[in-house]
Amino acid sequence: MSKKVVVPGDLVSAERKRLGSNVFVSDGKVYSKVLGISDDEGEVASVVALEGKYNPQVQDTIVGVVGRVVFAGYGININSYTESFMPKSSFREELKVGDIIVATINYVNELKEADLEYAKKMYGGEIIEVTPVRTPRLIGKNGSMLELIRRGTGTEIIIGKNGRVWTRGGNIPLLKKVVKFIEENSYKSNLTNTIEAFFGVLPPEAGAAKDKKGTTEESEVMDQAQENEESDRFNTTEGE
Amino acid sequence: MKMGKHGSEVVADYSKDKKRMDGRKGMDELRPIKIKVGVIPNADGSAYLEWGQNKVYAAVYGPREALPKHSQNPYKSVIKVSYRMATFSVPERKQPRPNRRDSEISKVLGEALQKAVFVENFPNTEISVFVEVVDANAGSRVACLTAASCALADAGIPMRDLVAATGTGKAFNEIVLDLNKDEEDAPDAVDIPLGILPQTGEIVLLQMDGVITKEEFNKALQMGIKGCKDIYKIQKSALKAKYELEELKLDSAKKAIKEEGPSQAGEEKAAKPEKAEKAEKTTKKEDKAKKVKK
Repeated sequence: MSKKVVVPGDLVSAERKRLGSNVFVSDGKVYSKVLGISDDEGEVASVVALEGKYNPQVQDTIVGVVGRVVFAGYGININSYTESFMPKSSFREELKVGDIIVATINYVNELKEADLEYAKKMYGGEIIEVTPVRTPRLIGKNGSMLELIRRGTGTEIIIGKNGRVWTRGGNIPLLKKVVKFIEENSYKSNLTNTIEAFFGVLPPEAGAAKDKKGTTEESEVMDQAQENEESDRFNTTEGE
Repeated sequence: MKMGKHGSEVVADYSKDKKRMDGRKGMDELRPIKIKVGVIPNADGSAYLEWGQNKVYAAVYGPREALPKHSQNPYKSVIKVSYRMATFSVPERKQPRPNRRDSEISKVLGEALQKAVFVENFPNTEISVFVEVVDANAGSRVACLTAASCALADAGIPMRDLVAATGTGKAFNEIVLDLNKDEEDAPDAVDIPLGILPQTGEIVLLQMDGVITKEEFNKALQMGIKGCKDIYKIQKSALKAKYELEELKLDSAKKAIKEEGPSQAGEEKAAKPEKAEKAEKTTKKEDKAKKVKK
């Protein structure tokens, strides 16, 4: 059993390894910082967190809500510890409190205050709140899960790394339930296949699906850190 | 069995007795402990703990912006603990207003947790911990500390280690672990709440009430550290229990459809705009119609 649930202070690796996320070193051994899932195989000692708040990171795509309008610009709630500020000049039109924007983080300072860029106002639609650390699973490997739920529900979806999913059109009640299901089962393997089978977009072939489970799904949970980087390109794609 | 702290009547002598007043066999035996994590949905992290007769809830919110603003520290997160006892938690009604004892315990618990949490990761924020004692029977502060550290872990807050705590001390001429109320009221009682980080053995909470010799204290401390390590195991299993369904879900597809399918089956079909789907539907309908005709 290579994958296991760890609690803060649990040993992740007794050997020296490259340090991944959510770990710390004490006496040459690697311990977990958070409640999460660790894999003792592989080059990197890291833990995928199961719970937690959004920690702003450069290059993250986020869904923000205008929380405050002042003379020079807007205070934008990005579900982080502090609100971000954007000048009025970054928008073509005046925004008002409650407007939804999608933006990218281009800088985070030592107080974890985030600077935003490429902001775009979203018209209509609604926001689904999810646990921020579990959003990678909603995107999936190379955006596979996002593609699935978008086609399955016929909605436009933008997944913000800050735990907000903006959505418009299509079957939103179904999407909400699917998103909740994925969020609640994010730490289990074989999730993408399950959702795939649920939607039935592709004809489920019992034999082929089973073979795939072992190979494609196994490493999925553990690769989330890498996925974070990879999937950035994909998580803003909208439904046609 | 009644006796006060200054009562002349000595009802037990643990140096001769084989049993403790509540029936525990060993002097180093803990009362039964039960921990459940994630009991308060609106909190970021929460825990419920039963320790003998003690019943305690812990809820964690944050890290979030520290308010009032002057309480912010640009180098680290501030842990704000609020320890409260319900009015019905003790035989005599407790005044709900926080008293000296409440604020003191809030302070020491906060300082103990501060040692475990990576506070330097969250500048200018606060982590609010609310611990509420619903039923008290000696050792409620260690129960609260144990529950609070589970709630912090449940909130996904980065920590060096969980904090495990237990009461230890002396009662009825013997060093005992985890004193209950009867033992705490013994004429020679010494109560030592002890909290440690089990991985490193660092002591994060140590208080004492009573008169005790150095040798006795050391013995009580060793006993307490051993007890804490047992509690640590219970904490760990409680946290892991929430994610027990770790194995591959082979029939997960069916499960998922059962959970979500029946009510949404119709909606899902309606949502699919593809013409192919519609075509399928129509053919199905036709089939049905044909069947009916037949």
